Amino acid sequence: MIDFARVQKELQECGKDVEGSGIRVAPKSDATLARLVGTIPGPIGTPYEGGVFQIDITLPDGYPFEPPKMQFSTKVWHPNISSQSGAICLDILKDQWSPALTLKTALLSVQALLSAPEPDDPQDAVVAKQYLKDYQTFISTARYWTETFAKTSSRGIEEKVQKLVEMGFPEAQARTTLESVGGDENLALEKLCSG
Amino acid sequence: MCVFSGLSSQICTFYQKGFCAYGSRCRYQHIKPSQSQSFTPSSSTSSQQTPVSDPSCTSSSGVALVPGALTELSASGRTSVLPKQPVWKKKYDQHEFLEDEDVGEPTSLRPADHPICSFAAAGDCPRGEKCPHIHGDLCPTCGKRCLHPFRPEEKEEHLKMCEKKQKHLEALQHSQEIECSVCLERVLSKPTAAERKFGLMSECDHPFCISCIRNWRNSSPTSGLDVNSALRACPICRKLSYFVVPSVIWYTTKEEKQEIVDSYKSKLKSIDCKHFDFGNGNCPFGTSCFYKHMVRPGSYVWKYHRPPPRRPTPRRSDAVDNMEQAVDLDTIIEMGDLLEDLMDCYIPGEDDLDFDEDIDPLNNLSHFEMAFILSQMGTNEIDSSSDDDIVSGEALPYMWQYNKSCMANGTPIGPKLLLGSSDTPRMR
Repeated sequence: MIDFARVQKELQECGKDVEGSGIRVAPKSDATLARLVGTIPGPIGTPYEGGVFQIDITLPDGYPFEPPKMQFSTKVWHPNISSQSGAICLDILKDQWSPALTLKTALLSVQALLSAPEPDDPQDAVVAKQYLKDYQTFISTARYWTETFAKTSSRGIEEKVQKLVEMGFPEAQARTTLESVGGDENLALEKLCSG
Repeated sequence: MCVFSGLSSQICTFYQKGFCAYGSRCRYQHIKPSQSQSFTPSSSTSSQQTPVSDPSCTSSSGVALVPGALTELSASGRTSVLPKQPVWKKKYDQHEFLEDEDVGEPTSLRPADHPICSFAAAGDCPRGEKCPHIHGDLCPTCGKRCLHPFRPEEKEEHLKMCEKKQKHLEALQHSQEIECSVCLERVLSKPTAAERKFGLMSECDHPFCISCIRNWRNSSPTSGLDVNSALRACPICRKLSYFVVPSVIWYTTKEEKQEIVDSYKSKLKSIDCKHFDFGNGNCPFGTSCFYKHMVRPGSYVWKYHRPPPRRPTPRRSDAVDNMEQAVDLDTIIEMGDLLEDLMDCYIPGEDDLDFDEDIDPLNNLSHFEMAFILSQMGTNEIDSSSDDDIVSGEALPYMWQYNKSCMANGTPIGPKLLLGSSDTPRMR
């Protein structure tokens, strides 16, 4: 059984320090506290700087004696985060979990992971390979992904997708095309039309 | 005047009850209750005889007008005449001081026998300086006048007790503020009494409530958490602690912690170890066991001076993986706590009962409670059929096996509980 009293307390604690840490945690819906959304700012001095990353949090029944399940819902280019699913490879979210950790401290650790990738223990092999073999490309790709998916301006991407869908393009295709051209609506349309 | 002499033969009931407002000026005789029986007849005869025969009595009745003269006169002359001295005279001096003192045996009372004023001892005596009772000395700890000035032992005892209580109170106050790092609540503000206990880690000083830390240490390793590196470690500093001690107060010094741990261990030491079974069983903790290992005459150890052989583990090739479940020392200790709690239920009013006697807590338990204890240990299925020769009757129907790797390290910790039909998955 989830200790909701503790979750409630954690949310309060986290809310007090939003200015300082930039980390927010909020319930996904009013119905339950078991599903939450965490937000972390990209660490300064990294290709993730300036981005705001959203993380889906699901609390297991055994919380806080079991680690919370965390997954990026914002796309990230990082050796330890799946570029496809957003799954995070971080020890404290697995076998190094401790009940003294909180959602906030766990999110802080995720934030720290962004600034200190561990390419030798990768979650995404492609990214890790790029990180080790072609660091410059990795940096630019990561920055590009941040610009495209993690910037507040990119929040409008949903609207652009919606527009393209209304024009008659399938949603998935519209989305990937938009992503591939960096969110430019006209370029995406051009690309989609050219086939 | 004659009225006086007549009245003086009557006994003052107020004086006998302990307090006469007239004191020495009272017209009635001030006689102690114990003396009144022997004295009354003689006084009554003397008063009857006064007008008739006894010359000394006439003189006494004559001087009754002048009380001051009477005192001297009777002091010099009367003593020899009457078998007993009149009490009102004899008691004159003491009466001033002990007006409402217990009249039982005022003369024989040593200062140490006087009780102290209970009002003053409780905090405030309305009579203040005028109070006829002894006011006790001020106790520096509790600030009450409750130290008897003439009873040194009692004084010592009170001082010691008071100091101890005060210390406990301070520790308790200090403990109120302590939060458990797992549930993030104040441990002593938890809803049920059972939860309002700290769990002291043996190797570090981080506070948790006993339920949280035990929950953590006993949590199923399904999530990939390793028993030795994660579960037994302190959630905050990750230092490995082999046991957790329950305590109602939080300590501030190393000595206090040691005291709590020692008293807990000594409490466990007075309870017979179920695994050792008075020399018939095999305790996996050996000499490191917290419980009492008492060899009963006629037992295996008594006869052969070595523990009974361990039965080969009943491994079934197909179920091996499902049979093992690690249990750490906590669980055993926790079981002990549970037994204590149950014992308390069984023997109400005998809280100070010494477990040193041959009381077997387990024998007091019904099967239901046994099942409860075992379920506390993380299983609810018991297979007693294969272990008959190891344990008998009500004793624990499971067996122990050393965790080889732990033994290699020299630590007695980390035995694995083998359960015949447990379907809990094997931990990694």
